[in-house]
Amino acid sequence: MTDNIRVAIAEDSAILRDGLVQLLSDRGFEITDAVSDPEALRSSVERALPDVAVVDIRMPPTFTDEGLRTALELRRRHPRLGILLFSQYIETRYAAELLSEDAAGIGYLLKDRVADVSDFVEALVRVASGGTALDPEVVTQLLGASRRSDSLSSLSVREREVLSLMAEGRSNAAIATALVISEGAVEKHVANIFTKLDLPVSEADHRRVLAVLRFLDS
Amino acid sequence: MMQADVDDSGVRVQLHFGGKDRVIVVSEARLEQGRRFARTVLHEPFGRRAWLELLYFVAGGLLTALAVAFLALTMVPGVGLFITFIGAVIMAASVRGARGFGRYHRALARALINEDIDEPEPFNPKPGLFGWLQSSLRDRAGWRSMAYSLLKVPLLIFGTWFALSVWLDAFFCLTFRVWGGGAPEPRGFGIFQNLFSPGYLSVGRTGFFHGLFIFITGVLFLFIAPWTMRAVVYLDRWLISLLLSPDPLTARLRSLEHARAKTVDASVATLRRIERDLHDGTQAQLVALAMRLGQAKEKLAEGGELDVEQVRRLVDDAHQGAKDAIVELRDLARGIHPPALDTGLEGALATLAARNTVPTELDVDVRERPTTAIEAIAYFCAAELLANVAQHAHASRASIRCSQHGQWLRLVVRDDGRGGAHPSAFGSSSSGLTGLNDRVRTVDGHLGITSPSGGPTVVTVDLPMHA
Repeated sequence: MTDNIRVAIAEDSAILRDGLVQLLSDRGFEITDAVSDPEALRSSVERALPDVAVVDIRMPPTFTDEGLRTALELRRRHPRLGILLFSQYIETRYAAELLSEDAAGIGYLLKDRVADVSDFVEALVRVASGGTALDPEVVTQLLGASRRSDSLSSLSVREREVLSLMAEGRSNAAIATALVISEGAVEKHVANIFTKLDLPVSEADHRRVLAVLRFLDS
Repeated sequence: MMQADVDDSGVRVQLHFGGKDRVIVVSEARLEQGRRFARTVLHEPFGRRAWLELLYFVAGGLLTALAVAFLALTMVPGVGLFITFIGAVIMAASVRGARGFGRYHRALARALINEDIDEPEPFNPKPGLFGWLQSSLRDRAGWRSMAYSLLKVPLLIFGTWFALSVWLDAFFCLTFRVWGGGAPEPRGFGIFQNLFSPGYLSVGRTGFFHGLFIFITGVLFLFIAPWTMRAVVYLDRWLISLLLSPDPLTARLRSLEHARAKTVDASVATLRRIERDLHDGTQAQLVALAMRLGQAKEKLAEGGELDVEQVRRLVDDAHQGAKDAIVELRDLARGIHPPALDTGLEGALATLAARNTVPTELDVDVRERPTTAIEAIAYFCAAELLANVAQHAHASRASIRCSQHGQWLRLVVRDDGRGGAHPSAFGSSSSGLTGLNDRVRTVDGHLGITSPSGGPTVVTVDLPMHA
């Protein structure tokens, strides 16, 4: 499933960059470039047109959020380019900015997630093919900070679990695997959630993510 | 009989006097001195400065009259009603007004007598009416300029008697012909009236010589007046610099506040640096380590044939990564607070000297232990300076000398490198020599650099033993 997915990597820590290259090529991705600063990423994307870019948020020269800025800029020029932002901290503000226009082909993960190699690879594949991958930490923060807690309290425990996984960008099949239940059961929970929270029903997974996030953020 | 020679070296006068020949020699330098003195005295009443000082005296007097009237009108009810709220408000307004008068006094002094006094700290009231009240009543600049206005009253009285009167004497004597008419002689004023009272001129009552004498007296007064006025203005200058200048206490407070702000900034910068080091170093190491172990774990969990060589390589890398992370973490912890410092500066400096890549000689002669903060600053200075030597100096050897001079600790780091070290040469204010300088100054210490091009470089850091 990873064959022919072309990945550009922008990460300023050499040790992590090398690790990522080794891990991803081992898993069958094609690495177009592995660079250490935003400028190099820009020219690399223009030249090699990868399917997805894995971008560290904090990079030179200011070590604040130039990765995010560069990603948003690249995205405007290449709407089909998947972006997986990669950071040691989760800032809800960054997630909101990233998802303000479209959730298709967007991911935002803690760097720790590479330790669970399969989950990480799965998230990258999802982003490359136009899906969404949000770190559980982002979803937890949004759930915790949501002003709609009264609506949320009407959900059952299982429904909240499903909601969290849905917000991370997972498909019904993936949610079913994660919770060890049948896909039919997941569909039923999802329908319940949409009814209880009064969300617009949509087919595409990434639109579903956006609907949930807008709900949590409102 | 007298004979005088004048040449370049001066005047030589020979005269016969009292049955003896005497020679008086006046050198050219002396002559020049005398000429200059005469020029000054003769020129003074017609110079700009004398008239400006006279104008200053009169204008300052009028301004003081206004200020005193204002203070009388506000302070009297203010003090009387002080226990009531309105009294406090009036008094606060009085202090604020006094500050305003102070500003005009300064402007006058700046414009007319060239006395350029810095403005005091701007009034910066706390928020709210009570804050304003409290800040106004505690405004030292206001109270001090009130004191100036009040002390200026006796000065004005004295000045009128001692200096203004001489100008008036000169004026009336010189113009006696015009207005005198039938008066027998001009009236004397102030000090001269007192000295020559009741009438100071008694050479005849009429006639040419009487008139001439009065005129000559007027000229004499004209040449004296600028100097008495100058003395009075000098007293005023002294009063101004004492009471209208920025308050030394407030200035000290500001400089301490400034130093505190620097310290706070420095500690925030330190925290940032530590966060950055953790983020880029240890955290990244651990993520990479977890990534390798994750890969190895998945390989082992996979069914089918196991690629032992590949797994071994992953575990090897992970093992190496873990060891690197430990080293990095240890260095970082040492950078936050070197454990060697716990046993004293000497041991810590010895470790530092031994670890340096340039051979470094150490000489410590400190009889008592400085406070820990001073030890830490001395240590970090030495560490930073040695790092500079290793990175920039191209030196073949270096030395650290640490000695105690009374209540001061002196650290001297020397290298035989190429020199040319300059505070700006080592980057931004948060690092390098500039950063060190800031750090040293927070405890009122001093950092000095001599680094001629071609070397050697000597950096001297003086720190108080107890901060």
